[in-house]
Amino acid sequence: MKNFAYINAASEKAAIESMSDKALALAGGTNLLNLLKEYVLAPEALVNIKGIAGLNAIESFEGGLKIGANVTLSELLDHAEVRGRYPALHQALYDIGTPQIRNMSTLGGNLCARPHCWYYRYEYFDCKKRGGQGCAAIAGDNEFHAIFATDGPCVMIHPSSAGPALVVYGAKVKIAGPGGSRDAGIEEFFTLPAAAVARENVLKPNELVTHVLLPPPNGKSATYEVRHKESHDWPLAMASVALTMAGETAQEARICLGAVAPVPWRAAAAEAALKGKVVNETTAGEAAQKAAEGAKPLSGNKYKVQLVRTAVKRAILAAATGRRV
Amino acid sequence: MAKTAGKKSVTRTGKASAKAPRRARQSAAKAAPPASQRVDFFKLVPKPRFVGKPVKRKEDVRLITGAGHYVDDLRLADMLHVEILRSPHAHARIVSMEVEEARKASGVVGVFAYKEISSLCGDVPLAHPGIPDLKVPHHPVLADGEVNFVGEPAAAVVAESRYAARDAVDLIRVEYEPLPAVVDPEKALAPDAPKVHKELADNLSFSWEVKGGDLDEAFKKADRIIQQRVRSQRLIPCALETRGVIAQYLTGEEQLTVWTSTQIPHILRTQLSGMLKLPESKVRVVAPEVGGGFGSKLNVYAEEGLLSALARLVAPRPVKWIETRRENMAATTHGRDQIGELSIAACADGTVLGVKHDCIADIGAYHQLFTAIIPTLTGLMLAGSYRFPAARTTLKGVFTNKMPTDAYRGAGRPEATFIIERIMDLVAAEFNLDPVEVRRKNFARKFPFSTPTGLAYDTGDYEKALNQALKLADYQGRRARQAKARDEGRLVGIGLSTYVEICSMGPSKGMAAGGWESATVRVSPTGSVEVLTGTCAHGQGQETVFAQITADVLGIEMDQVKVQRGDTGNVPWGVGTFGSRATAVGGTAVFEAARRVLEKMKKVAAAALGASAAQAARVQIKNGKFWAGKKSLSFAEVAFQAHRGLVIPEGETPGLEATYFFEPGNFTFPFGAHICQVEVDRDTGEVSIQGYWAVDDCGKPMNPLLIDGQVHGGIAQGLGQALYEEAVYDESGQLLTGTLMDYAVPKATHMPWLHCERTETPTDVNPLGVKGVGEAGTIGSTPAIVNAVIDALRPLGIKHLDMPLRPEKVWRAIKKAAAAP
Repeated sequence: MKNFAYINAASEKAAIESMSDKALALAGGTNLLNLLKEYVLAPEALVNIKGIAGLNAIESFEGGLKIGANVTLSELLDHAEVRGRYPALHQALYDIGTPQIRNMSTLGGNLCARPHCWYYRYEYFDCKKRGGQGCAAIAGDNEFHAIFATDGPCVMIHPSSAGPALVVYGAKVKIAGPGGSRDAGIEEFFTLPAAAVARENVLKPNELVTHVLLPPPNGKSATYEVRHKESHDWPLAMASVALTMAGETAQEARICLGAVAPVPWRAAAAEAALKGKVVNETTAGEAAQKAAEGAKPLSGNKYKVQLVRTAVKRAILAAATGRRV
Repeated sequence: MAKTAGKKSVTRTGKASAKAPRRARQSAAKAAPPASQRVDFFKLVPKPRFVGKPVKRKEDVRLITGAGHYVDDLRLADMLHVEILRSPHAHARIVSMEVEEARKASGVVGVFAYKEISSLCGDVPLAHPGIPDLKVPHHPVLADGEVNFVGEPAAAVVAESRYAARDAVDLIRVEYEPLPAVVDPEKALAPDAPKVHKELADNLSFSWEVKGGDLDEAFKKADRIIQQRVRSQRLIPCALETRGVIAQYLTGEEQLTVWTSTQIPHILRTQLSGMLKLPESKVRVVAPEVGGGFGSKLNVYAEEGLLSALARLVAPRPVKWIETRRENMAATTHGRDQIGELSIAACADGTVLGVKHDCIADIGAYHQLFTAIIPTLTGLMLAGSYRFPAARTTLKGVFTNKMPTDAYRGAGRPEATFIIERIMDLVAAEFNLDPVEVRRKNFARKFPFSTPTGLAYDTGDYEKALNQALKLADYQGRRARQAKARDEGRLVGIGLSTYVEICSMGPSKGMAAGGWESATVRVSPTGSVEVLTGTCAHGQGQETVFAQITADVLGIEMDQVKVQRGDTGNVPWGVGTFGSRATAVGGTAVFEAARRVLEKMKKVAAAALGASAAQAARVQIKNGKFWAGKKSLSFAEVAFQAHRGLVIPEGETPGLEATYFFEPGNFTFPFGAHICQVEVDRDTGEVSIQGYWAVDDCGKPMNPLLIDGQVHGGIAQGLGQALYEEAVYDESGQLLTGTLMDYAVPKATHMPWLHCERTETPTDVNPLGVKGVGEAGTIGSTPAIVNAVIDALRPLGIKHLDMPLRPEKVWRAIKKAAAAP
């Protein structure tokens, strides 16, 4: 990696003042350090935000939780309320990486992680995200790439596994910047490449995710992931589901897909298909069919359409029954 | 993680052992020391205290606590650092290279390209494979006007720090003229294919054939001819420690020292001497701790020559280069990459009569040390553990614009075993037979067994290992439960593999260079014992095994033995560690050297004790003392007397040291039976392993813990090939799987619980009776897992799938099968 200056930020304000497009925030480092080593990113400075007070707590908040951006995935997994009330989030986090990675990775980092597209991470390839002209993935080996929103300039999949779960819970992201603090809805937080190909969210270079606000859960929820390897691997496709149940009927359904689009991908048609239905194999399967509607797979990833259907169906059934399917 | 059965699982084979000498006489031409002169270890040490026992590894304390020293841990005074500019193109002409800016950068000592290096360092060498008309292209250590694969070294920067060197690499401006690249070995054979090397007529590096038996007869008599194409995909060895080299040339002393992460310091020394035109006496190679090799460090690399040459240019300052992971993936040898077209002549009762195998080996852009030899091993081992009378392999080694292939754990045998074990299952499926019965029907049963490919298997009892594995896995019960699961629509499969492999490489006549191994056992005046071995363990645990052997022979504690390896300045002769040879060949040399030291110590003791001739002939070691009659001397006292020089036994000289070169008469052929159960997810194609059972026979076990370690690690790598791993180059020759994020090696949690047992069939090739186990797990496991997955998919009519069995591939096959009428 290139040499860089190391800035220890003691406060949000200090961090924000130090950060720029050449001075990147460093939390757990599990994503950023790889990119530095690969020469994908070569910032002049890293701003260590781990020492900022108040960003590493999980607090009760309006019946839900307020989670500091520096809370590690392991801390979330160990938290009784996350485990008990937010199973979709718990399952999504549980499937990330290894214990060592989860001990270092933070929730903020998971939301802000850069893509793991192999063309993005490899200097010999043209990549718009790295300032290039073309996208090697569109005509290349793209079996791990997006099947939704594939008509944009970049066909990455968003690497956040927590994202889809936060979407189905209707979370908000607290962002601090030079002008103060603002809350963004989790779905507004993530942005498509068409909006700005170089980045994956609304953050400006001198803005920082400080907290995630989780409203109280409103029913049952689950996440289901399909992976090449049974663990320690990125998902090929995943689905998080939250259901508001009346008996066996889903009054409301929120379904969000992961690893299939440049952002966590809300499956509105599937939600509508399930709404008001008794949840069973048949209705879950019908909703799963709808979840794949609108998919425009690339040359090498039609298989992911099938995975979306499978993940959605299994996540719905897991949420409804409380069992992992 | 894994479970190994205790004593009860180990079956004694006294019978086979008793018969061994007679068999050895039968194959007298193959046995090195005449059987009459040979002293077997277990005859000399009937009740060993260490050999055969689960002794913990001597090397682990330092390795586990991080106290061991690998190349990167060595920091010499005034050391300079090297970073290498590598080709971003699979094939291109270097039009120009502008290095001035890099040369002027802060901290840079020099920038070097082919023209600065070529007079100091010759081409990267290869071991002569004995293949006629082998085409060998010019293979410089830095590209000579043309680059032929992504990652090929093109220039080197030497600087005061690694950072300065790396930053300066970015300042070198190279103008490339991209040339058409060829990455598919079959397309590379087309007449109009782009040529990898313009100086050669085409991309065919060599053709080779091995055959035996009457194939026409076999194919005439067969009830059915089964055709199948199989592929052993390209793999990346991924040793935990990447490569690294430090080189220093002392001008005054005219001495080059090269510290490098290698499996073969002595071979490397000889080859570097040739590349650098320095006498071997002026070249010392040191392999410090080596963090895994799996064959990928069984080589002579461009960087080893390059750093040596650079060391001469900046002498006497040492230069250091440490490979990054991405360099390791792109520019350290790959493994496998063979396509085989099979024709199998089979009878309806499951008997295989003959196999034809037309193989294309994608060898990449150049020859590395054993690039051409590895795929020939596939042809030689094609018969597996079976006695079909006729076999033929034709082999084409094809250049492509990729990293060269070479040895990777198993090296030719996993490919052969995959083929023959798939064949057994294909035959079983064709005639609707139990794959167990097909194997029984075809097993070789009489030893020594001559294969149609010209090998002589030493000893074996394949059915015994199979029976034990079947029992261990509850095969019958498992089949019954599988039938029930199938009735429920579940895709459950059981697969097996009854492999045999070729180890303890080897007799020199069967090797590209010497196949012997040397050992020196040296006792100091104070009684401390040094064992110098020409093998070069890089994780196997030879430090432990050789101390076990030496301590047992000399009647001392293991702590008194220090095993030295890896330094040609210390260990004068050696071949190295590869081909599961270290214990069988190197361990035998240790045994023989220790035995000679023991004989001399008995004589010294007798002389020092003033023993009569009759007493001298019967010196005994008891309780750590040498006894002649009723008088005794301790081990240390005898050692002292041997060096004091006052009592020199007749016909002897002072000192206490013996060196032995062991030349094995044959290879050894370990075997085993692996069974695997999987379930396939019908909706996603995901494979989950539900159980794994292995019975391995590596001859006499020296240390069960080490055997378990080798088997477990081997199975992990075999599982990687079966399910996960594949080196993927895109059409332009870019390596897409260039990091461990993209190249899927199995991790601890991907491993099933392993139920491992052993049978024990000693070899007569060496006096230890040991065969070797370093690669067995890799060889046995891949086909067992693939056979299990195919078995799971059999109700859908699927007969074969190429590895790796990734969910997408499996799901596509399921979908296609469901759509078929």
